[in-house]
Amino acid sequence: MITVVGLHKLVAVGLRRRRVEILKGVDLRVDRNDVFGLLGPNGAGKTTTVKVALGLMRPSSGSVELGVDGLSQVGYMPENPYFYDYLSGREFLGFCARLFGFEAAARHDRVEQLLRDVGLAEAAGTHLRKYSKGMLQRIGIAQALVNDPELVLLDEPMTGLDPVGRVEVKRIIERLHERGKTVMFNSHILSDVHELCSRIAIMRTGRVVWQGTVHEALAEAATLEEFFMQVVTS
Amino acid sequence: MLRRVVAVVAVVVCAAGVVAYQATRPARAPATPRVFVPSPRFFLDFSPSFRTSIADAYYLNMVQYYGEHARGDGRFDSLPQMVDLVTRLSPHFARANIFGAFALIDAGRPDLSARVLRRAFSENPGDYRYPSYLGFFAYRYGKGKTKDVVAAHWYQKAASIPGSPSYLTRLAAVLMGKGGETQKAILMWGQVYSAGDKYARQKAVVGLERILPKEKQARMKAVAPLYGTMPKADFEALIAELFQGYGQ
Amino acid sequence: MKQLVAITINTFKETIRDRVLAVIVVFALLMIAGGLWLGSISLGEQGRMIKDFGLVAVTGFGLIVAVFVAANLVHKEVEKRTVYVLFSKPVSRAAFITGKFIGLCGTMAVVLAGMGLFLFALVWIVAGQASGMVLLAVLMIYVQLLAVVAVTIFFSTMGSAILAAVLGICVFVAGQLSHNVLALTRLGKNPITEALSWVVYVIIPNLSAVDVKAGAVGEQTLAWGQIGLWVAYLLAYIVVALALATVIFRRKEF
Repeated sequence: MITVVGLHKLVAVGLRRRRVEILKGVDLRVDRNDVFGLLGPNGAGKTTTVKVALGLMRPSSGSVELGVDGLSQVGYMPENPYFYDYLSGREFLGFCARLFGFEAAARHDRVEQLLRDVGLAEAAGTHLRKYSKGMLQRIGIAQALVNDPELVLLDEPMTGLDPVGRVEVKRIIERLHERGKTVMFNSHILSDVHELCSRIAIMRTGRVVWQGTVHEALAEAATLEEFFMQVVTS
Repeated sequence: MLRRVVAVVAVVVCAAGVVAYQATRPARAPATPRVFVPSPRFFLDFSPSFRTSIADAYYLNMVQYYGEHARGDGRFDSLPQMVDLVTRLSPHFARANIFGAFALIDAGRPDLSARVLRRAFSENPGDYRYPSYLGFFAYRYGKGKTKDVVAAHWYQKAASIPGSPSYLTRLAAVLMGKGGETQKAILMWGQVYSAGDKYARQKAVVGLERILPKEKQARMKAVAPLYGTMPKADFEALIAELFQGYGQ
Repeated sequence: MKQLVAITINTFKETIRDRVLAVIVVFALLMIAGGLWLGSISLGEQGRMIKDFGLVAVTGFGLIVAVFVAANLVHKEVEKRTVYVLFSKPVSRAAFITGKFIGLCGTMAVVLAGMGLFLFALVWIVAGQASGMVLLAVLMIYVQLLAVVAVTIFFSTMGSAILAAVLGICVFVAGQLSHNVLALTRLGKNPITEALSWVVYVIIPNLSAVDVKAGAVGEQTLAWGQIGLWVAYLLAYIVVALALATVIFRRKEF
């Protein structure tokens, strides 16, 4: 589904506009119906790769194909999401649904369903500025699923969630997979990656240094953590 | 706990000091007779959107300045500049024009007062008050033999403006007669008689009696020009009153 | 179109519910009411003082709301990274900029209408009557502030929110002095200075041309035909400013 070929990204940094290469030729493949884990240490270029894929940044060279019919088929949740202070959870999801052209009745039904799915039905009328980090994380996932996308990109979806919330998010991802959706997420919690993902890629300093199935990774090390350390420190 | 008490006491003492200082200061700083007033040119070049607001601010300043010095030292050194600024920025501001004109009289500047009123009248030709005040100032503060006639002309101009009160023509006629322009005065009293009510007619007869010769022939010669300037019935009524007791 | 409507409604809700806005409006109403005290020392000109200073308060506080909210509209979305949520959906940059502008227009309309009606009621109570000119003056202030909002949004796509706010205020002040810049074009003997003055004159929106505050206190004879043309000019100016903002915003990466 997602095909990234030779992706380079240069950014200008500082007062002297020094050119820094964040992505140094990323090659990546995510198949349809994969639950794909994009791993790597901080600053490896994971979020930048996703941003280029979504059009939030332009590639310096290389190409990215999402394999869907435009952004109307994509759902994205950024890391540490922040939303609009003075909207309630319900209003915010209603706004997202409007962006996809939902009409009033369908919008209402979809919003209420999502609020139930992420466990925020009771807090739906509260302003987002009063939400805890975990609640913001849940509303972030909900807004990523408003349009029932074919491709879902989640950046650290489990951050800030209590154990109950983590289980709920995992169930959401599993349900998406069962329904034939493609999910790609970044996470530092490798146990979750192990549990959910079929395939993973490991990035380091702007490149994909390893890509394959979780089984292939576990064939080379006892745990995914060990394999990860092996790859990023070699 | 001790530190908290000390902190609270310190804050209370400071607050009390601030209040006490403010309360015991004099109510107002001594008013200086000369204050800085910007040139109207500066503000006229400024945005037209805020000219009236600036004029209003300086108007309030001018009123307070006048009040302070009228009660105080009687010096109005900066009043001419203030009046000039306010009236140039807001030439249709009637109260500022009139107040400024009268205040300038108190400041010993009737010449500037007249200038303000003349400028106001040129900007507001439909307002009878300006020429009527000019007439008053010419009569009250003018000098020389012609001051009554000058005042009369202003009152006449004021009377010609639609909506002006009827007494203005009478004032013009009185002053015209007093200034020696008897023929003009007679004609004006004729206008008052034909245009006015019973009261105005009485006034016209009294006014004419004051300036007409007592001798019958001379009197007839003096009122002859009125014929044709007023309706025939009014003319005959007026002649009847003026020649009552003169016989055939 | 649906995205434009969604962003417009969202922006309106976000801005109208901001508590800082409520505080500013309360202060504005207090300032307008302060005209009562000024009227008491004006020797019988209460009506004029309340109208004039009230309209200045409406302009001043309206300007504060316009520039500080407009400067933050785009900047806050980028700072807080809500742009990631927006532009990962099928939302065009043009719809975003336009929706933000129209949403803030709605908020400004509510704020200025509130202040204007309060002023109108105050004048009515004090003077026994009030002409509709006060409300028309507020309407023209609104039109001016819309131009300032558009320009501030343009600046906010290029730099920080503070800089955009300061530049927005500068444009408002310069817009009141537009006729002075025009006079400059006629003064210089150097063709380069003259040409530069012309460029500055064209770039700065002529805001004082639609100002009728003086008319509300009887100091201005209003040529409504001319004012109508200038309003159309400002609307066209707004379109150009928003178009330029969109062009710059399209180049932005997040």
